[in-house]
Order: sequence, then C-alpha cells, then structure tokens
Amino acid sequence: MSIEISNVTKRFGDFVALDDVSVSLPTGQLTALLGPSGGGKSTLLRIVAGLEKADTGRVTIEGVDATRMSPQKRNVGFVFQHYAVFKHMSVAKNVAFGLEIRRKNKDEVRARVDELLKLVHLTQFADRLPSQLSGGQRQRMALARALAVQPKVLLLDEPFGALDAKVRKELREWLRRLHDEVPVTTVFVTHDQEEAMEVADEIVVINDGRIEQVGRPDQLYDRPANDFVMGFLGDVTQLGEVRLRPHDIEIALTPDLAGSVPGDVLRLTRIGFEVRLVVGTEDGREVSVVTTRAHARSLELDAGDRVWITPSSGASTVPAMKSLLAG
Amino acid sequence: MVELSTPAKWALRLVAVAYVFFLVGWPVINLAQRTFADGWTAFVQTFQDPDVTHALLVTVEVSLWAVAINTVFGVGMALLLVRYEFPGKRLLSALIDLPMSVSPVVIGLALLLVYNGRDGWFGPWLESRGITVIFSSPGMVMATCFVALPLVVREVVPVLEEVGDDQEQAARSLGGNAVQVLRRITLPSIKWAVVYGVVLSLARSLGEFGALKIVSGNLTGRTQTAPLVVEQKYTNFSPDEAYALSFVLVLISVLCIVVVSALRPKESSE
Amino acid sequence: MTTAVLSQDTRTVGRGRPGVRSTLTRGSALGLGVALLWFSLLVLIPLAAIVATAGGEGLRGYVDTLTNPQSWAAIKLTVGQSLLVTGINVVMGPIIAWVLVRDRFWGRGLLDLVIDIPFAMPTIVAGLVLLGLYGPQSPLGINVSNSRPSVALALAFVTLPFIVRTVQPVLGELEADVEEAAASLGAGRLTILRRIVLPAIVPAIAAGAALSFARAISEYGTLVLISGSLPYKTEAVSVRVLSFIEGGDRTSAAALASIMLGVALAVIIALDVVQRRVARRG
Repeated sequence: MSIEISNVTKRFGDFVALDDVSVSLPTGQLTALLGPSGGGKSTLLRIVAGLEKADTGRVTIEGVDATRMSPQKRNVGFVFQHYAVFKHMSVAKNVAFGLEIRRKNKDEVRARVDELLKLVHLTQFADRLPSQLSGGQRQRMALARALAVQPKVLLLDEPFGALDAKVRKELREWLRRLHDEVPVTTVFVTHDQEEAMEVADEIVVINDGRIEQVGRPDQLYDRPANDFVMGFLGDVTQLGEVRLRPHDIEIALTPDLAGSVPGDVLRLTRIGFEVRLVVGTEDGREVSVVTTRAHARSLELDAGDRVWITPSSGASTVPAMKSLLAG
Repeated sequence: MVELSTPAKWALRLVAVAYVFFLVGWPVINLAQRTFADGWTAFVQTFQDPDVTHALLVTVEVSLWAVAINTVFGVGMALLLVRYEFPGKRLLSALIDLPMSVSPVVIGLALLLVYNGRDGWFGPWLESRGITVIFSSPGMVMATCFVALPLVVREVVPVLEEVGDDQEQAARSLGGNAVQVLRRITLPSIKWAVVYGVVLSLARSLGEFGALKIVSGNLTGRTQTAPLVVEQKYTNFSPDEAYALSFVLVLISVLCIVVVSALRPKESSE
Repeated sequence: MTTAVLSQDTRTVGRGRPGVRSTLTRGSALGLGVALLWFSLLVLIPLAAIVATAGGEGLRGYVDTLTNPQSWAAIKLTVGQSLLVTGINVVMGPIIAWVLVRDRFWGRGLLDLVIDIPFAMPTIVAGLVLLGLYGPQSPLGINVSNSRPSVALALAFVTLPFIVRTVQPVLGELEADVEEAAASLGAGRLTILRRIVLPAIVPAIAAGAALSFARAISEYGTLVLISGSLPYKTEAVSVRVLSFIEGGDRTSAAALASIMLGVALAVIIALDVVQRRVARRG
C-alpha cells in the first residue's frame, strides 16, 4: 500500500474537518476522493501533501512515516484547482522549477522539461508566460511541473473544477490516458461523481469528515453501503420501503409482476433517448422512473395513464432512511 | 503561505515597528508633550493671537474652495476617463498624475510666471479687469487645487471601473435620461470613493506650504495660512505658538486618516 | 489612506489607442472641453511658462544653472539624498508591508494607521515634529539639524508610505497556493521568498520607489526648519529655487525648476512602462 492514513483527525476551530479517518490508497492506482464540498476531502489531500498538519493520527507514504515531514521533503506532486502558476516565469521555467531546486545540471533540466512539455502537449508554448495560456493549458502546465520531479505520489485538488464543461471532459479523459502512460500513484479530489466514476480505479467517498465507503466505481454504484453513497453516486427514488435507482424500476400496464404497485403517470418528459416519468402511488408518494424511449413507445405511455411499477430483478436497493434509523 | 520561523517573525516585526516608531510615532508624541509641557496656558494663548486665528480662517476658506473645485473636476474627469473613448485619453490620464510629482515650489513658480500682475502671461490682462490672482485668494485656491488635483480622480476611477456600466444601461433602458442616470445610479455608486477623495484632498490642502508661500506673498493677517504661521512663529522665536498650531494641524490630519480608514472597506479579506 | 492613490498598478485607465473612435456625446464633449480648459489654465500653461522662461535665453539659462557651483551642489545633495532615502525605503517598505499583511499582533492596526500620517501631515509641521526629537533639544540627545543626515531624515519621513502602500495590496493578493506549490516542489522558505514572493512584488517596489524618489527630490516644506538650508551643505534644489524667486532671478529659478520637472516626467514615464509590463503579465 502506497499511502496509509491512520486515525487522522483535523479540526478548524469548532469545525471537525476529519474525524478519525483511516484509509489505504493503493500504489500505482488512480484514486478519487469523492464527496460534497466541505466534507473534508481536500483537507485529507492537503494533510497527505504536508500543506496541513493533522491534529492526531499518522500518514505513511511508501512505507516512510511522513506525519511530521515538511512538504518540501515529501516528494509529492500537488496540482491546485486554480493552477497556482508562477506568473513571472515562462512555461518552461515553471516546469523546471522543482528540478532547479534539486540542483540538477542544466542539460538534464532542459531534457526533462522538453520531455514533459511534449507529454502535456505544450512544447510550442515553452517560452510563453502563463497569462498567455488558456485555463486548460495552465492546468496541463501545472501537471507537468508537478510530474517533473518524479514524485512518489501525485495529488490533485479539484484539478478541473475551474474549467468549463467541455475542457473538463477532455482533460479528464486525457488524465486517465496519462496515468496509463505514467503510472504514478495518483489521488484526486472531486465533488463530481461522474468525473470520479469515469477516471478513477478506486473511489473513496468522504462526507462530514468520515469515510462512507471505499471501492471500485461499479462496486459503489451497484452496491452502495448506505443511503448517502447511493444518493451521491446517482439519482435515487423511493418505492415502498426501499430506495433504488429510477432506471431499476420496471413499468407495466398490467399488475402481472409479483409485488407490483399501482400508480398514475403524473408527468412525462422525453430527454434524448430516455423518458422520465413521475408516478404517483396510492400511498401519496411520487416515484421517479426512467425508461427507454422505445419501451415507453411500445407501452404508448402518456400522462394520466395507470401503471404498475416494481423493482427490476437485480436492482441495487438500500432500506429507506426511516427504517434505517429505526433499525 | 510561507511561515517564517519565530525569531525571523519577531525580528521583522521589531524592525518595522521600531522604524515607524522612531520616524513617526515618537516625534508626534513628542510634539504633543511639548505643546502641553506647561499645561494649557500657552495653547489657549496661541489661539487668542489674531494672526493665528486669521490664518486658520484663511486656510479653511482656501481649502474648502479648492476641495470643492477639485471634487467637481475630479468626478467629471473620472467619468470622462472611464465611460468615454476619445483620442489622447491615455496621455490625459498620465498627465492628471503629474501634480503628484511636481515640487510645490515649482508649482508656485509656474503660477507666478503666468498670473502675476506685473509681467505674467495673463496677469496684467486679468488685473486690468480687476482680478488679482497672485498674492490674493484666487492664486492661493489655484495653487491648492494644483497640489491636490489627482486625489479625487484616483479614488473614483477604480470604483467606476469596478462598478461597470450595466446598471447605467439598465436605467437608460428603463427610460432614465442622462441627468437622472447620473444622479440616481452613478453618483450613489461612487459616493464613498468621492468621500475618501474629498477627505484626502482636504488633508493635503490644509497642509500646503511651499506653493502657497510663493503665491500668497505670506502677508501676515491677510494672506498668511496656518502652515506659514508655523514657520514664522518658529523662526521668530515663539516656538510654543508654533507647537500649539502644529498640534492642531496634526490632529486634523490624523482625524482625516482615521475617517478614511474607518470608511474604507477592508481590502484584506481573510 | 494613500493606498488608492499609490497603488496605481491597479489602474486600467488609458486603454484608448491612437486613432480610437470618440464615443463622446455633446454633453460629455462640453464637459471635457471645460475640464481641459481648467487643466490647461491650472497646470499645463503654467508649467509651459517655466520651460519658456528657462529657455528664454536659449540654453544659457541651463548652462548657467548647472555651472553655478551652489546650484550644482544643491542638485547633487538632493539627488544623492533622494537616492539614499529611496534605497532605505526599498528595504524598509517591503518589510513593513510584509509585517502588515502576514503578521498578526496587537497594535498592527495602529501601525497601519501611523504609516499614513506623513502623507496627511502638513510638511512644515513634519519638519517641526522631527526637529523636536532630532533637533537641539532632543530628549534622545541626537541632534542632526543643519546637517546632511537631517535632509535624509526629513525625506525618509515624507516618503515612508509610498513603497509600503504599493507593496501591501500586491502582497495581500498573492495566492497561498502558489507558495504551497513551490513548497511541494521542494523549495524552502528562503527560496520561496526569493523566487516566488519577491518577483511578484518587484514591480510594486519599483513603482513605489519611483514615486518615493519623485517626492523626495521635490520636497520643500519638511526641509525648511530642520536642514537649515546651508549653501553647499544642506541646501536642497527646491530651497534654491525659492531663493532664486525671492531674489527676483526668475530665469535661474525656472531653469532649475524645469530640470526638476524633467525628472518628474521621466519618473512618470518609467512608472507607466513598469505598469504596462506588469499588465501584460496578467
């Protein structure tokens, strides 16, 4: 295991950012720390980097106890949400910074900088100032700068958070490919579940200073440990006493299926290939159901129709919050 | 953020505080001590001297005129520089700052050369129409205007830029005419900047010395201003009166600073 | 309170390029006309009068001024002491700004306030105040009056706020993550200060230094009481100009004044260049 975090607690005044957190982040993998903002994920990342000190607990990086180590000595690469470019230095100088600190000889620095600029596709921008780059380019430069010193781990704090949707998507795919090319242990913080699901090998869901669940993206999606994880990783609706995903509900015009519940179609919206329905059941609840356009057409569904709905076989469900509390 | 080691932090703190204390703090405290060394008597006597009270009145009158003129000019110029495009704008913007770097003595000389009644460029012509500029109030107001010229403009310009013209456009689209937009949208949004500018200009105007020494003629009981009295009293061996008057002038300038720093929104949001 | 006046690096006025189309309306054009008329009568024509008077006898006015040993001594003194004081400010200004922005201690607010006093205090009073502590009746036993150090002291007093107030906002806006990035790349404290913080505030220091130098060479009021204005020893240029005026020698006064004007203009142009370079960096 590459990064071991044991019993870490961090408070800011009265606010508990991390509450006795323990987790192992595996070597060579791309791990996402996922959760709502203010949940403690950035604090955890900053503690790993040494930019923040834990009140209690231990951090081990590649078997070395780093708990009391300064950020300078940890040899981690850190990428910030707002790029943290060195404004007065050219792109090449930015990338060379860590190497110059380590007093590498000039030829070595130049060769390494060239190599990295090529890797992040910024070779032709080497002599520009960061202010002449777009947001996406700046973040690629920041990534090259962090990678230049061959860090043991690469930490990214909401790296795509300040970019617009299209660039975000491009960069996220590019990060995945980059990680496959340069397999350095990478941890990135995000509040975007789609980003985490698409990029990460493993996801750590953090909420309210605690770890809710750790697992592969499909594990988390299909077998969420609790209501929070389920809700955070996708849409959720409640049918009877269970909570489940709207696309995991079968819809029929007849009460043929065992355990099906009758209801009326209150609203119906077509979005691209899918159709979203709101079904009012007899207990007064509104249940969201998602089905394909073809299926909806074959049933000739429309608002006001009476339908019977039931969880489809193999649907991932968790008990509804109320019964959870009661239990 | 870089955290300095504790000794380094204390060393810097000590250096900064000591430097400012010995350069400004202690001298100012020392002035207060001297002013009241023998109680209030000398202080009270100073302000019973008709030359002193007259000089204070002249100072206030000239300053108020200059501040009023500079406020109108400053707000108008700021609006022109921010809201309009015209050839030569950049040059004009740079020239507005010029008075900040011109010696008060040079300012006095410049006005003297143009407006003196004997051989100035415009002086004799104005004199023949009954207007005396040099050694008289108009010249003193002009000199004071000159030294404090950029202060209002420089306060208002950044605020106007930050506010943008969205609100003005909205008001215009709702049928507001130019005067209504100016009075109901633009002026309220730059209100505080104008207030800072006015207070700064006032402090600068009340204290002007070099330029006024030249254009006022320094005539006791007529055109002499308070700072000029300070010099005269000190060099004529009445240091107590010089201290007392200085103390009042320092008090006014400190008051101006306190007002501005209390009004100004805190820039360092933490 | 000098912040807005001095932090000119934030100003963006003057984007107008040559040949730019005017957007003036009839009302605003009238306003501009009146403003320009006033500005000309108040500033431009009088300053032109100085240059015209100085050049009235060709270059002779300038040559006479520069070859007059007393005037030359005044120029040397003023420029020398102004450079010295600007040098002191270049060191002390950023230190004070740093303490004001990054340090937290009781009395910091007061320190911040006191910095502005020299800006608001009447110059003649400033001279008197300094004379009280560093004059013949000094409670410290230090008497610098009528000596060269008194000139430096007076100039240091009046120029105190300049670099502090230009550096302070820039230091305050430095993003923490930039320094953190440098730290995680292995840069120690001194390296971060030298390679990240210092380059970021150098333009502000330069701007403040230019303003401070311009103010120092033009200072008059503060020097009157404390320097004694001894010819060849403590007489500053502005004092010399005034004694020319009082002596009725307006040509010499104007020649010396126009040299000072030239320096002031050069400083403003230098400032503009620095600021445009910074603006490009973004």
